[in-house]
Amino acid sequence: MVKEGDCVAIFNSIHRVMQAEKLLKGRHLPILLIPAPRALTAECGLAIRYAPDARELVEDALRAEGLMPEEVYAKNGEEYVKIG
Amino acid sequence: MNTIDCRDMACPLPVVTVRRALAEAAGKPLRVLVDDGPPRENVSRYCVNHGHTVTEERLDSGYALVIAGVAAETAASVSPTGPTVLLVTSDRLGDGPEELGRLLMKNFLMTLLDMTEVPDRLFFVNTGVLLATEGSELVEALVQLGNRGTEVSSCGICLDFFNRRDKLRAGTVTNMFTIAETLLTAGSVVRL
Repeated sequence: MVKEGDCVAIFNSIHRVMQAEKLLKGRHLPILLIPAPRALTAECGLAIRYAPDARELVEDALRAEGLMPEEVYAKNGEEYVKIG
Repeated sequence: MNTIDCRDMACPLPVVTVRRALAEAAGKPLRVLVDDGPPRENVSRYCVNHGHTVTEERLDSGYALVIAGVAAETAASVSPTGPTVLLVTSDRLGDGPEELGRLLMKNFLMTLLDMTEVPDRLFFVNTGVLLATEGSELVEALVQLGNRGTEVSSCGICLDFFNRRDKLRAGTVTNMFTIAETLLTAGSVVRL
């Protein structure tokens, strides 16, 4: 479900990730709630995926609502690189 | 050696056709003609993941893949008693809050992509069919499952009930005869 270069935001809280999904979908931003990739640990097992070109809009919206993710990763080959 | 022509077939039909042909071939080798690109990659990956060796030969149009048979005992260890079938009867997983149920169903079906062995068949009935239609966030995952060898089918009566037959975006339409027959001959059935 995660393509090369995609961003994966980890929230470590089921309620926060659901709130974040609702907020971003309400603003018609191109995101998808996905199972957290196995390589990343997330207590709630869920993450939000978005393309790098949507990163600024997504994270600005989350920041404004106090819903910034704990960590953000980018898919790089078989690995995930922490970018936030 | 039997040859089947899967050229000009849209994904995931080549994988589904090859899976059926291999089951019927019962260990005998098979020659499959496929278009280059995703059909060739998907068929090769499916066969290698299921223990076959694949030899490729370039043709004027597409590729010929010679798929070596698998010894009976190896095939048996993959699927001991018959196909694994998932019957999805709702667009939610479990009872409880609707929002949580939808989230869990989505999460479960996407997680199947991380499994070494994907189910052989996936049937959607009742509100489950909505998961395979336009607007569902699962369409991408279901198409990927199809490319991995899962045959995805939705109940035609249910699609008609919801007026969604022309909005089906993953898998094919099926009928109750096929669903009933497949369930009764399955090795294992998982109902969601």
